[in-house]
Amino acid sequence: MRIIVQKAKCQGHARCAAQAPDIFKLDDDGYILLGDIEVAEGEELPASRAVRSCPERALELTRCAL
Amino acid sequence: MATNPVPDHVPPEMVRDFSLFTSPGMPPTPDGDPHAAVACVHDGPPIFYSRYNTQDGRGTWVITRAADQRRVLRDAETFSSHRSIFSSILGENWPTIPLELDPPAHGVFRSLLNPLLSPKRVLALEPAVRERAVELIERIAASGTSCDVMKDFAFPFAVSTFLRFLGLPDDRLDTFVGWGKDLLHGDDKERPVAARTIVAFIDELAAMRRQEAVDDFMTFIVQAQVEGRRLTDTQVRGIGVLVFVAGLDTVAAAIGFDLAYLARNLKDQQLLRSEPDRIPLATEELLRAYPPIQLIRVATKDIDFEGAPIRKGDYVSCATMIANRDPAEFACPNTIDLEREDNRHAAFGYGPHRCLGSHLARREIVIGLEEWLARIPAFRIKQGTAPITSGGHVFGIENLILDWS
Repeated sequence: MRIIVQKAKCQGHARCAAQAPDIFKLDDDGYILLGDIEVAEGEELPASRAVRSCPERALELTRCAL
Repeated sequence: MATNPVPDHVPPEMVRDFSLFTSPGMPPTPDGDPHAAVACVHDGPPIFYSRYNTQDGRGTWVITRAADQRRVLRDAETFSSHRSIFSSILGENWPTIPLELDPPAHGVFRSLLNPLLSPKRVLALEPAVRERAVELIERIAASGTSCDVMKDFAFPFAVSTFLRFLGLPDDRLDTFVGWGKDLLHGDDKERPVAARTIVAFIDELAAMRRQEAVDDFMTFIVQAQVEGRRLTDTQVRGIGVLVFVAGLDTVAAAIGFDLAYLARNLKDQQLLRSEPDRIPLATEELLRAYPPIQLIRVATKDIDFEGAPIRKGDYVSCATMIANRDPAEFACPNTIDLEREDNRHAAFGYGPHRCLGSHLARREIVIGLEEWLARIPAFRIKQGTAPITSGGHVFGIENLILDWS
């Protein structure tokens, strides 16, 4: 599972990092780091919860390998 | 007051008799529920025109759907936040910063301030915030079985947390709260006096920190450089005023509405008391149900928006409490469900102006509820008393007498 990060949409709500701090890393301003995220096996649940918590819809789940 | 003429370009059928200031439940109301009162707009069209919907009595378009509010609040080019809401009270025209700046200038100042209120920085502030909450609540618990939560806890807690962040002493807390009340809820005479007092205070504080640096927020601001230059006096003032005013009212109001809800819903109260791990998630639901802010933007050009002929200069209202009750976004929006997941509420706004203090505010509310529930047994609203609530630009709760005898 992979998370597509639309960095330009991130406004620093930091809900993803609150849900799954090990998966979503923030910069010093509190905004998400650039780059898509590969989700390790067993972490799908917190990852998908975090995706659904983003008020700006900046995160997107994809199940197919790119 | 509600009889402003409708601008010529607004089709008469798009005008609705609704106002965050004058509709039922908006003026000060004993035992009111202004957030529930505004949810009725979702029975009507997704966008309409209100003839009286700002503190200074202007008409606005009202955007009711969360998805449409996102569109407006993300598009700062079309919907500007530069409207000098504070300085216009004084008959002046300078922006509070970063709120009333548009991109790209906005981003420059936002980058300067973001690290000061990032999740990481807020984590470091937490022990002091918790200590302050415990100190206030223990004093309340020791002195009886009843108190006015607003006067004895919510305001002193929220405002002193903020004053510490700014580097100001607690001893003038009541004075500052008074200024905030006059500014946000006062009449046409009180507001300019409060605004002038706050400006003079911020200017004086900046002058003092220029003369002698200390380790605080205002020193950081007067020493800061943006694009290789020190900030101008007006910029320092714009930042100082915004940060000062933002901390006076909102968190205290949120804590007040939240504890009023728990006082009336003993099952939920008991659930959170016995399982405090649920408080962070419950806080998100309470932020959804009881956000205090209406956001307003000004159209920079003519645009047809979801069937509404918005013209340059029109005001567009994105009330967070309306978006948060949008049935298209939230299942059973008028039911408060403290276990609600997938709660992408609009309490802190959307887009580049997302509340700068959101991380601190959120943690203050969580900590306040945790420490309150850990120390105060089952509480109700004291018999014979009624909390007075109000709508407006910032929703408020004046008093909340709780009883746990």
